[in-house]
Amino acid sequence: MKIGIFQLNGCDKCFNETYLLDKHINDNSKNEIFRVKNSEVEKWSEKDLDYAVVTGYITLENHEFVQKLSKIAKKVVGYGSCTTTGGIFGLAYQKGYDITPIAKIIPDTTLISGCLGEIEELSEILQGHPIKKSEILCTSCARKSTCEYLDEVTRQIDPQEDVESCFNDFGHLCSGYIANSCKEMCVDYGTACRGCKSSVDRAGFRMLGMFGTLMGNVEVATEATGKGGTDKLADVDDDVTESIPDVTGSFFRFNLANSVLPIGRNQSNGSIMSDIFIGRPIEELPLISGCIGGDHSISFTLDIIQAYEKGLIEDLPVSEKTVELRNNLLSLEKELNSALKASNVESYEKITNQIRKIAGNMNLSNLFFGGFKVPIDDSGDFEGYKKSIFEIREGDYQNGNIKYSLNSKGIVTKFEMEA
Amino acid sequence: MSKEKGKRDVLAFMCAECGQGAAVTAGVARLGYSTSIKIIRVKCSGLVGPIQIMDALKNGADSVAVIGCCFQACHFFNGNFLSMHRIKLMKKLFKEMGYSDQMINHYTARAAEGETAVGDFEDAIERLLVAEKEGGTFA
Repeated sequence: MKIGIFQLNGCDKCFNETYLLDKHINDNSKNEIFRVKNSEVEKWSEKDLDYAVVTGYITLENHEFVQKLSKIAKKVVGYGSCTTTGGIFGLAYQKGYDITPIAKIIPDTTLISGCLGEIEELSEILQGHPIKKSEILCTSCARKSTCEYLDEVTRQIDPQEDVESCFNDFGHLCSGYIANSCKEMCVDYGTACRGCKSSVDRAGFRMLGMFGTLMGNVEVATEATGKGGTDKLADVDDDVTESIPDVTGSFFRFNLANSVLPIGRNQSNGSIMSDIFIGRPIEELPLISGCIGGDHSISFTLDIIQAYEKGLIEDLPVSEKTVELRNNLLSLEKELNSALKASNVESYEKITNQIRKIAGNMNLSNLFFGGFKVPIDDSGDFEGYKKSIFEIREGDYQNGNIKYSLNSKGIVTKFEMEA
Repeated sequence: MSKEKGKRDVLAFMCAECGQGAAVTAGVARLGYSTSIKIIRVKCSGLVGPIQIMDALKNGADSVAVIGCCFQACHFFNGNFLSMHRIKLMKKLFKEMGYSDQMINHYTARAAEGETAVGDFEDAIERLLVAEKEGGTFA
């Protein structure tokens, strides 16, 4: 069987994960796997394939190539959220980037959503088996929801304070309602579900409807119509709009390009990275960088975190244990890159498991400002490296090759990343 | 959907109680309103969510008005308030995407007073004109 794996644009975490196919496909020796990445994609000229696996986000320039794949491959598989729904890179759709989910180009594509895409599902597909239907995240989540109306929305919480109640009950937006349960399980690492593996169509709008309803007790501004003498919704800012400073990023984190919204009319800031980050709240930054950093997601995320920690100095202290754990992660990243360079599957698997042990998952859900969200082991010294709830402070922050500015509400107004 | 040039469609989701009641009263009193208004009666304005509003906007409506009962007068419990919260978030979303937030709004009406519904219709059309002037509609 001939399998082609094509990485188009964006972070290559999903592409790297496909190295594990060797371990998951029974008798992989009979298969011929072509791995084609970024710039080599256009030059690729193999004539026929049984499966074409597409990873990474798709821009207008890739449409022709994806259509070509549908002709030469018996089956096309979209692997990872970037390909299936635009993923986190799809947030740039707000600034006019025409990012297209694969099913809009080839309607009968098999879709494997998730950030990271699950390798077990891909190997099942490639072996001709149907994927097992995943259950809704809320059914497998250890936290339970009461669905009571919220009095306020909370941007930061201490996940360890109450490990039984649903994040949404604290007023902390969790997209579990519209997501399927997945391998990364951010909810187990103190992070509300990001919604990367949506269980319904138009997931963003459904989540907006769900959370908007939950916000029932939050005050909404009204005014007299002046015509007929009744009241209507007012156009001024109120507690509802103040509580969710970034509606696009909160509800459409992984599916903006796949929503029914027309393409955004905002001016681009020059690079896709700055377009993704500008407009997002500070507490979202490490979670986004964990998803899009690819080979360098650890150093990228730590640069973002440390930039803010450096800016707040004593108000956001970092313990020695935290520094030690972060350094371990950085050396694991180096080892991971060497393993990838050598195409060493065994050490790739070993190192990713070690990263998962510290950072929770490959999206680095456990990393945060000031420390870690949940205990890494059972040693009982969690207080020594626990994250803190930080204050939001306007200013410019820089670390390594990352530079960003925040406004008084903690929203990124400028983001630069040196190559 | 093909549409006559210059013709506008404003879709009004009206709750079966006060909203539709006010429109019926307006009819009884022979109050006139624009032919651009297309009414869909719903059980409660709380039933109208982002999915229905986006379906309308994607399928030819130029703007959407959701009309429910007056405050504290929802015939169920608080459907009108819940709908307002969602529409407020959608308005913010439209602005964040670079479009006008005047294409959607939530109103209230009193079943006994037909002019409340007619006032809401007029306001919805005025808002649509503002959105068009700003160049912020989806069309």
